[in-house]
Amino acid sequence: MIPTLLGITIMVFAISRIAPGDPVALSMGPGGQMDAERAADVREARMKLYGLDRPVPIQYAKWLWRVVRFDFGDSIKHHRPVTELIAERLPITLTLNLLAFVIIYTVSLPLGVLAAVRHQKLFDRLSSVILFMLWALPSMWVGQMLIGYFCGPTFMNWFPPAGLSSNNADALPFFSWLADRLWHLALPVLCLTYAGFAYLTKQVRAGMLDNLRADYVRTARAKGLANWQVVFYHAFRNSVIPVITIMATLLPAMFGGSVIIESIFSIPGMGRLAFEAVTTRDYNVVMAVATIAGVLNLAGLLLADIAYAVADPRISFEATIE
Amino acid sequence: MSRPQKEHSDWGTSYGEMVAKEFFKSRLCRVSLAVIIFLFAVAVLAPFLANDKPLVIRIDGALRFPIVGNLKAADYSIFLAATLGMTMLFLIRRNHRCIEPSIRGQVLWRQIYISSTILLIGIVLLFIFVPKRLDATNYKALVANGEATDAVFAPIPYGYERTDLGVREQPPNKKHWLGTDDVGSDVLCRLIHGSRISLSVGFVAVGISSIIGVMVGAVLGYFGGKVDFIGMRFVEIMMAIPVFFLIITIVAFFPRSLLNIMIIIGITTWTGNARFIRAEFLKLRNEDFVQAAKVFGLPLRSILFRHMLPNAVAPVLVNATFGIAGAIFVEAALSFLGFGVAPPAPSWGQMLSLGIGTTGRFLWWLSLFPGLAIFFTVMAYNLVGEGLRDAIDPRLRKAA
Repeated sequence: MIPTLLGITIMVFAISRIAPGDPVALSMGPGGQMDAERAADVREARMKLYGLDRPVPIQYAKWLWRVVRFDFGDSIKHHRPVTELIAERLPITLTLNLLAFVIIYTVSLPLGVLAAVRHQKLFDRLSSVILFMLWALPSMWVGQMLIGYFCGPTFMNWFPPAGLSSNNADALPFFSWLADRLWHLALPVLCLTYAGFAYLTKQVRAGMLDNLRADYVRTARAKGLANWQVVFYHAFRNSVIPVITIMATLLPAMFGGSVIIESIFSIPGMGRLAFEAVTTRDYNVVMAVATIAGVLNLAGLLLADIAYAVADPRISFEATIE
Repeated sequence: MSRPQKEHSDWGTSYGEMVAKEFFKSRLCRVSLAVIIFLFAVAVLAPFLANDKPLVIRIDGALRFPIVGNLKAADYSIFLAATLGMTMLFLIRRNHRCIEPSIRGQVLWRQIYISSTILLIGIVLLFIFVPKRLDATNYKALVANGEATDAVFAPIPYGYERTDLGVREQPPNKKHWLGTDDVGSDVLCRLIHGSRISLSVGFVAVGISSIIGVMVGAVLGYFGGKVDFIGMRFVEIMMAIPVFFLIITIVAFFPRSLLNIMIIIGITTWTGNARFIRAEFLKLRNEDFVQAAKVFGLPLRSILFRHMLPNAVAPVLVNATFGIAGAIFVEAALSFLGFGVAPPAPSWGQMLSLGIGTTGRFLWWLSLFPGLAIFFTVMAYNLVGEGLRDAIDPRLRKAA
């Protein structure tokens, strides 16, 4: 875990160092009226200021030491500490993703089970085809079409096209505020979830099919248990375990997806921060966001591991950690 | 090659034939393969399908062929690649008919090696020798003036870089079948030329990621032990940062060009392949044929790629198919966000991003058609990937 964390920081730092382009030249801006000698002096001063005159490993160590204390420097665009910016925006992205996550699991589990129980019947085939198409739908397209058709003057004007809440939201009582927030979140969350449905439902269905063919299910049926008991108490419980590990592959995809979705719907979250930082070449922010996304993802993996150990009594946590 | 040209029924069915047979059984797979072939045809023939220059024109009594005259080195490279690709397909079929199974692999590798060498040398030569031309003649005006006759234009007589502010943001009409964009370029024309970017990004990016993945995976799996341990930690680190964040981080620091995007997608997505090949090689390295190859004193390259890799290549192909779909999607997403190729180049994602106009007006044709193009391409590759996987996996074959 710790080496991986270190590795993430090394990689982010390496990307910023390998890249062509000279941060000092960038900070000095394009050609001003300065004679060569003075320019060289300023250059040297800047190099010293940014610590670029030291060897790369020392630069890395200094950067890492600051990162450990959650100090990512200042944003060039916002003129504020990057940590502050991220602290503001991280909860928004987490809310969005958690909401999407819960919805994905609540919809996909029953859908997958039903598809497996009705194997090769109409419901199974229809849901497979529809989910397969959903999987291939590009989220930026869906997002844009939703905005175009449902949020604008051109067609229906049902949902707000951008932002997290209406202008006067702070003055509203709690439940109206919540309703307003949900109204704003509906479309972005929809965009974040549909691809996950397709993926997860497929996995649940495959797992259930495997288990429904297993010998112990036949035994359960032979005992004379009711069908729903066999499906839920025997097959389903065993199919849930692999589904938990899928969390680990779903998380990074959703983080990535939120860059696109937040940019389309102008939601001030981490994704949009990353998007703006890349557009304006706000390097401190870019490095911070990449590091934090990596750390969060790692935390997700750890959580999936723990959940796995809890769900499956055959796996002991000590054994996986060695 | 003086090999017998008759049918050999006693050779039995090879693994490849079995997979192909299984694959072509499904109608969905046939249809999606047809879609991909169609996309390829469109991409290769793009200059002849959509061009503001005429195919044939008579000026001052002399016949001229402006489209052919204006082909660039990149166009010729695409033609060369397409020709070689078709030759390879033909050769694979021919190999199956008239070359003994035991040496078929060797022959195939030699053919792949020769054709890729021709391709590389050819591309270099083309870029050196094909002159950069800029033909700004307005042939349509010449025809209108009566200075030129017998003009035959391409089916879509617009250039993808040609702007015409008089017709900007027009919905689909008789002249512009799929409408025009914010600078008055024809959407259909840009879609056709955009297919080249999508397909080439898909192939080059996946080529890079497959090569890196296979090499890293092979070395880790074959050596095992400490090499494997250190290598796998590195792979884990690569996987720890969500791919899209990793990509935009790199995009932020590096200059934006088509080649860079291909490389970036390639070097960020190889981990899946590496893990898979490693697992496979860990199993294979104790097999007798690998031990035999080792005892023979064959060079490492030969053991890894001649003897072991063919046993693990099928799933890499499946992965590559899904990878192409993924790469096309990522390129579209990057272009959509404005991190892709610069605007006059016709990328589907960039076209899609114009769907909400600067005034906030929803230009549905700019959203619908590029979106559909991305959707159908990604879907076709996914379906082919699914089909291949089902055809390869014998366990599923029994169950179905």
